[in-house]
Amino acid sequence: MPTDSRRLTGPEETKSPYAYVKQKKKLQVLTGKRHDGRSPETLRPIFLKADVVSQARGSAYIEQDNTKVMCAVYGPREVGRKEDFSMKGIINCVFKYATFSCRYRRSYQQDSEEKDMSVQLLDALEPAVCMHKFPKAQVDIYVTVLQNDGSALAAAITCASVALANAGVDMYDLVAGCSVRIADNLVLVDPTESEEYKSQDDNPVNHGSVTLGYMPSLYQVSAITSKGEIEFEVIKKAINLCGNTSQTLYPVLQKCLNNSRFSLSLRFSLSLVRYHFCVQF
Amino acid sequence: MEIPRSSGFQLRHMMCEFGQLSRPDGDVTVFQGDTSVTTAVYGPGEVRMNKEILNKATVETVFKPKSGLPGCAEKMFERTLRNTCETFLLAALHPRSSISIIVQEIQDSGSFLSCCVNSCCLALLDASVAMKFLVAAVTCAIDSEECIILDPTVKQEKDSCAVLTFVFENKDDSILAVYTTGSYTVQQFQQCSQTCGEASKAVFDFYRTSIEKKLSKAT
Amino acid sequence: MADDFKYGPHEKDVRPDGRELGEFRRTVLNIGCITTAEGSALVKLGNTTIMCGIKAELAAPKPAEPDRGFIVPNVQLTPLCSPHFRPGPPSEQAQVMSQFIAEVIKNSGCVDCQNLCVVPGKLVWVLHCDLMCLDYDGNVYDTAVLALLAAFRNTRLPHVEEKEEVPEVTMDKTCSLIVSSQPVSSTFSIFDDRILFVDPTVEEEGLATGMVTVVTVGNKLCMVHKPGGSPLKSEQLLTCFDRAFDRSKEVLRLIEETILSVER
Repeated sequence: MPTDSRRLTGPEETKSPYAYVKQKKKLQVLTGKRHDGRSPETLRPIFLKADVVSQARGSAYIEQDNTKVMCAVYGPREVGRKEDFSMKGIINCVFKYATFSCRYRRSYQQDSEEKDMSVQLLDALEPAVCMHKFPKAQVDIYVTVLQNDGSALAAAITCASVALANAGVDMYDLVAGCSVRIADNLVLVDPTESEEYKSQDDNPVNHGSVTLGYMPSLYQVSAITSKGEIEFEVIKKAINLCGNTSQTLYPVLQKCLNNSRFSLSLRFSLSLVRYHFCVQF
Repeated sequence: MEIPRSSGFQLRHMMCEFGQLSRPDGDVTVFQGDTSVTTAVYGPGEVRMNKEILNKATVETVFKPKSGLPGCAEKMFERTLRNTCETFLLAALHPRSSISIIVQEIQDSGSFLSCCVNSCCLALLDASVAMKFLVAAVTCAIDSEECIILDPTVKQEKDSCAVLTFVFENKDDSILAVYTTGSYTVQQFQQCSQTCGEASKAVFDFYRTSIEKKLSKAT
Repeated sequence: MADDFKYGPHEKDVRPDGRELGEFRRTVLNIGCITTAEGSALVKLGNTTIMCGIKAELAAPKPAEPDRGFIVPNVQLTPLCSPHFRPGPPSEQAQVMSQFIAEVIKNSGCVDCQNLCVVPGKLVWVLHCDLMCLDYDGNVYDTAVLALLAAFRNTRLPHVEEKEEVPEVTMDKTCSLIVSSQPVSSTFSIFDDRILFVDPTVEEEGLATGMVTVVTVGNKLCMVHKPGGSPLKSEQLLTCFDRAFDRSKEVLRLIEETILSVER
């Protein structure tokens, strides 16, 4: 393995202490009774704040109990040299878990999971942004998960959309993220790390997860991603539940932005939304 | 072999050779006891577009260790050298150009940073780059009996509880740069800076005689 | 010119944000905020924010030092914290900062590597101390050193027992890391070759003609780092040391208060 000369390195082979923990063979069975006392349909308490990074155009921080995500938005700024001319703007999304955010230590470089998350995040945000408003330019969205206790992608979507609005980037609507865990007939909203679906376990049918990006004032879905083998009827139910839950998040996002320094520019861009509607319909 | 010194309050024997390399605009190999460093200076010359500064020259330093790739410690070393050189060079005389300084480690037998700074100063003199003032670096170590050892060897550095390197300028003897390892009291710091300040005079004399020797050879 | 506008205030001993020359920005400390890490701390110095997370892992020691663990500090200047940083490998600045932190740990001896030994010659702790900059508004050195110290104070290592050559870890049973000394850093900027002021913002760092970082530990100095910049008289350095010792008292009090309030 080549050593990284740009960082201070310890011994080449290290093992997480969790690898030495004596396995308590206990298959976790998900029931309607969740270990934090929530009912299946409730979200964890949310703390959302915009304007957390003084150097960024826009930024936001979200805390869903122990899931902590921070996002900063820079730009619109000059595109890299390799990009071609385009009348539409470019959004660049970088999703990263902090090295200390998970049970097992993460690496400094983006791994394939994080790259995948970056793409999913981008897919969820792109439909909500007026891309034609910044031709030849690029908006950079940097998302860092400080601690992961489940539903990190959903939290990242919510956080990034608030940061975008905070940066004064023109948008059609905000995007609220929500994820659910499906276990047989049970649908758990906003799963924690221990409740989350893990593909490596051998799972029977109707075990999986769904994450939805939802634009609450347009009543439109911007992105949807699911894992596991799920029957159509069940996934339909899950999507509906996600949509409804996201709708309840909307006032939280609005209130957070109203308290931030760009509340004025937001009002302006919301009036823009109305204008776009007139053109469309 | 290390030549024994009469007391701890003296610098090791200093020596330098100019013009060993043919390509650079200025170069010097400095020996300080068994520690030796070769420094080459190119410039003022063309600068890479992305490093161009409109109102002054870009100073670049590259530190090459004896073997292996440069790591974080070398980067810190490099930046200390660059910041030091940036301060005493009159970079504003050469806008939109680059002055690059390449420092190659030959042998580290203690007081390495001060040897590097001194070689940079001599190499820049050799390249006739305009400077605000000259700088001289002196290293000293505080041993376990709280005695100050000037210009320590590697072994002395290892056995000591602190090693301090000071860079002085010759205009009004102020301190340009400080780099220390280990822990020490404020009094010890003061004593060291005083001792090193006095020893720096010897380094400036050494610059003078070396340049005189070089110029007398040239004519 | 914008520069003239900013030059003015410093001459009259006041700074653009209304602080005096010797005044630090408001320091906010939060300890143990990341439960997935063995130790963590978040420090805000004005706008500058740094989070330190310590992840402990197990490894075999070096054959030459069978009873010494490892401390691996790394500073990440993430693209999130400032428009000047881009994704990719660490910049020169980040590398220099990592090295600085490593030297502060070594010089101050705040954590003894021998305390990280589990089974001599076989198993030792590796503490990955990752300092992540979340908002870059100047003076990251002081913020980083404070975040590191607070995280060390917060670190609890799980209990390891060796049963028949196989180590067994109990995550619920933990003991605190022994922190033997407490380094505190203070950074001074030099303005116009003569005016010294503490805790520069990113704006002031851009205008400064030199910087000095002083790290104190107890009543001793463990690091005086002045990489070039405007020359200083020794008397000026002495005033820096005095301020640094005062600052150290303030910071240590803040840490103790925070630890008490967290435990409560």
